[in-house]
Amino acid sequence: MSVGREHDVELARRAATGDRPAQRQVFLEQRVNVHRALYRILGSNRELEDLLQDAFIEIFRALPSFRGDSSLGRWCQTIAVRVAYLMISRRRPPAVDLALVDDGLASDVDVRRIVQMREAVRRLYAALDRIDAKQRIAFALAVIDGKSLAEVAELTASSVFAIKTRVWRARRELMRRAAKDAVLSAYLHELEGGES
Amino acid sequence: MTNDERLGPPPVEPMSDAAWSRVERGVWSELDASATARPPARPPRRWWLVAGPVIAAAAVAVIVVGLRAGAPVVAIDEPSRVVSGSAPSSVSFGDAHIALDAETALVVSHDAVRPTVLLEHGAAWFTIAPRGSRPPFVVRAGDATVRVVGTRFRVARSDERITVEVDHGLVDVQFRGATARIAARQRWSSESPAQTESTTTTASLPAPAAPADPVATAEPPPTTPVVPPPVAPPVAPPHRPAPAHAATPRVPAAAPTTRAADPSHVDANATAGSDARTAGTPGARRDGDRAEYDRLAALEARQPDAALAGYLALARGTSRWADPALFAAARLAADRGDRRAVTLLGIYLQRFPAGANATDAKHLLARLQGDAP
Repeated sequence: MSVGREHDVELARRAATGDRPAQRQVFLEQRVNVHRALYRILGSNRELEDLLQDAFIEIFRALPSFRGDSSLGRWCQTIAVRVAYLMISRRRPPAVDLALVDDGLASDVDVRRIVQMREAVRRLYAALDRIDAKQRIAFALAVIDGKSLAEVAELTASSVFAIKTRVWRARRELMRRAAKDAVLSAYLHELEGGES
Repeated sequence: MTNDERLGPPPVEPMSDAAWSRVERGVWSELDASATARPPARPPRRWWLVAGPVIAAAAVAVIVVGLRAGAPVVAIDEPSRVVSGSAPSSVSFGDAHIALDAETALVVSHDAVRPTVLLEHGAAWFTIAPRGSRPPFVVRAGDATVRVVGTRFRVARSDERITVEVDHGLVDVQFRGATARIAARQRWSSESPAQTESTTTTASLPAPAAPADPVATAEPPPTTPVVPPPVAPPVAPPHRPAPAHAATPRVPAAAPTTRAADPSHVDANATAGSDARTAGTPGARRDGDRAEYDRLAALEARQPDAALAGYLALARGTSRWADPALFAAARLAADRGDRRAVTLLGIYLQRFPAGANATDAKHLLARLQGDAP
């Protein structure tokens, strides 16, 4: 077992016994991981804080079962993905957060790019809201976040073949929805690595 | 889109330290509550011997309370997270009854010794039977802890802003080291924790499942006629101020100044959807929002950018002026050919689907989308 993995197992063991400093260390070490996983799957979301809280509560409750088979970071991401999946499965499409709308007007190239990016991302996640939860997660992790199919398979406890299929189906559904949306179509094309 | 204009993958927007602190506090609070609520180890029970009577009792409780309240009721007897959707809902456990507003989430830790409710967001009325010699019933919302020995009260939470209103009885609110005692017909807010405000001088908060009272309707009829807002062409010239009479958002009427404090005369279904936006808003704040709205309306012609930013700031609030402010922001953006108009209208319709300006927002959105390539 590597030094890093030993560190993870020892930290998890202490945190699982209720040692608050150890729990806090887990929180601080893993919060970026967990946040990134949730953000990639759900996009900017007013419920993100609640979901982060849910994810960490699940993590701390499950810590006694951590055996070090994977890194603590990967293990926490797996739980975050599960929390995101549960959230997607039971919610209605979320409202767009007003905080996303910047106050300043687009007056130069950089600001215009930011506005374009936000609009494209908004449309992307609005489209993702309407596809199957498992397909969405596979697409978000593999295409938006750039993880390998094998990594996504591990995070979602699925086979690589299943992930490949889900990504393909998600892409097909998104392209169908983007047929009348030039902004979304161009952005999807770009995410896939194509030229516009 | 050329290579130079490629947008790249969406960035992961970092969270503020304050947000992380809130998450961390919530996690520790939940873990502590779970640890407290965990029952001591007991020998295995023959659960099937008690399951029948328990299920029967729960079914009777659900039917009885359901008939009384006329709203969907769920009986729960273990820690649960309860979330209401677009409609109000209610739960009851033990001798406590909780009526949730729409879009409210709370966690109920049913501990026979010390029942605790964590209000994550939204607002709810709590009806608690007298606790007698038992420990107080506790509601946590952000940094505020409400302890009660038997009363009817309401707690509302919007991010870190907490309000508590007591219908009858007496509650203690512990907030950041200080304790405030709130009596019947009084309201407390985390924005001015040292003060309590009488609820008889402002629009009172609604109670669930009761007959309608038009006076209490949170979205009063419009006081100004509405003219469909003008839409600038896609390539708009620099700001063209709209005529004073045009594109006037429907604005709320002045807040009712007196009203019977008896909350049983309020229709929860009619008010709960917007109640979360008005809950606990002090009258002075409402007056301030109205003055701010008027100032921004006057500012539009001279400084449209500032007016738009002001409208957005007002729209982020929870007062009744958030509705007209958000629509005004969208209308002004559309008027100026600002592409954010579509986004703002979409947000308006999601946030105020039955708002006073919803019809106009739909028309304007349809026209803008029709103009889009």
